[in-house]
Amino acid sequence: MKFLINPNRFNKFSDLILKPFIFISIFLLILGLFFAFYLSPNDYQQGSTVRIMYIHVPSAWLALLTFLIMTIYSIVGLTFKIPFSFIITSAIAPIGATFTVICLITGSLWGKPMWGTWWVWDARLTSVAILFFVYLIVIFLKNSFTNILLGEKITAIFVIVGSINLPIIKFSVDWWNTLHQPASISKLSASSIDPSMLRPLIIMTVAFTFIGLVIAILRIKAEILDRKIDK
Amino acid sequence: MRSINSILALFSREFLITYRNFADILSIFLFFLLGIMIFVFSIGPNSEIFNQIGIGIIWTLILFSNNLTLRKFYQDDFNDGSIILFHMSGLSYEIIVLIKLIAIWLFFQIPFFIIIPIATILLNIEIFNIKIIFLSFLIGSPILTSIASISGSMNLLNNKNFAIGSLIVMILSIPIIIFNVGMINASEEVIKAQLSILLGILFFFLAITPWISAACIKLALQNK
Repeated sequence: MKFLINPNRFNKFSDLILKPFIFISIFLLILGLFFAFYLSPNDYQQGSTVRIMYIHVPSAWLALLTFLIMTIYSIVGLTFKIPFSFIITSAIAPIGATFTVICLITGSLWGKPMWGTWWVWDARLTSVAILFFVYLIVIFLKNSFTNILLGEKITAIFVIVGSINLPIIKFSVDWWNTLHQPASISKLSASSIDPSMLRPLIIMTVAFTFIGLVIAILRIKAEILDRKIDK
Repeated sequence: MRSINSILALFSREFLITYRNFADILSIFLFFLLGIMIFVFSIGPNSEIFNQIGIGIIWTLILFSNNLTLRKFYQDDFNDGSIILFHMSGLSYEIIVLIKLIAIWLFFQIPFFIIIPIATILLNIEIFNIKIIFLSFLIGSPILTSIASISGSMNLLNNKNFAIGSLIVMILSIPIIIFNVGMINASEEVIKAQLSILLGILFFFLAITPWISAACIKLALQNK
């Protein structure tokens, strides 16, 4: 597991897994889209718009997962003084921001036909919008210092402070009465989604995760090369 | 005993600096009052509307005037190196942050208790609500000061992007604004629940601010 904290090991390991990951992500994306469009039924209330879910939910999960990874790496990097973890944090922040934008846009497109409005100030929507702004501030804060090593550490501290938002997003649908529905898929109880809809959802989630991993690997490699040029 | 003496000395120094530069506080309050007038001019002098949205206006402007105090925390002491001298006199950076928090809260937030009634008169807010505004301000203003301290210490060596400090303050203070403004026109039980949440946020920020600000100051000192 040394490749997680050592740039040289990471480079070697990523050369090994990059190509398989690209193939897996393309295959899973095609499979998932095929399942989503042809092998899953229309919802009895929502009709065909339910298929937006297969993009919306995976991107929302990945938006949260990316910030969680950034938080863990920031804590690890500040505690054990590992510079590579700051490289990872700054490299994957734009990926998380992109997934948050995808989540917000698809949610808005889904909300117009179902709720009758593009946007409501409901707890879940607001907290995800705040997450997007936190991502943007993380990206800007890192670039606003002339000393890039200092900027990374300050950014890591801000990421740790900003991670208060994660549990708020997760539990916002339970704490407040929101228009957004509560979670349908849970580890502890049986999910309330029909298997025919759950199947494409899970395939799409895995596919999105692999796409995110591929982009993350490419970005981290580019960032390492960038640092080497600076030296 | 020696550390108590240095704490008192630091505190009296803060007081002297603020007292000798009194126009600074006054201009922040002028900003607050002018902001309220700008709101009145931009919406139109309709007292019914202001009775409903006045609290939101007041809290927005408190947040904006809090943004003006960002550079008062550590920037001057950091630039002329006196923060190292405080540290050499036996105070840890965490204690320095706490003293700064108390000083800034006393000098730049407490005087709002005089200025908020004037604002409520200008906005035609009912007397019953003023009590709740005072209560929410008493709990909310230390949180705003802590957030300003976090943001001020993060941007000590930031010389490329000056707006980001205000952005950090605004994004971290969203829950405070939500819970403070939600207290108005609410029933007794809701007010109690909101107050408990606000107190929770207050103690949370009081607990984390010294550590975060001290860590940022140390990082900035190492890279100066």
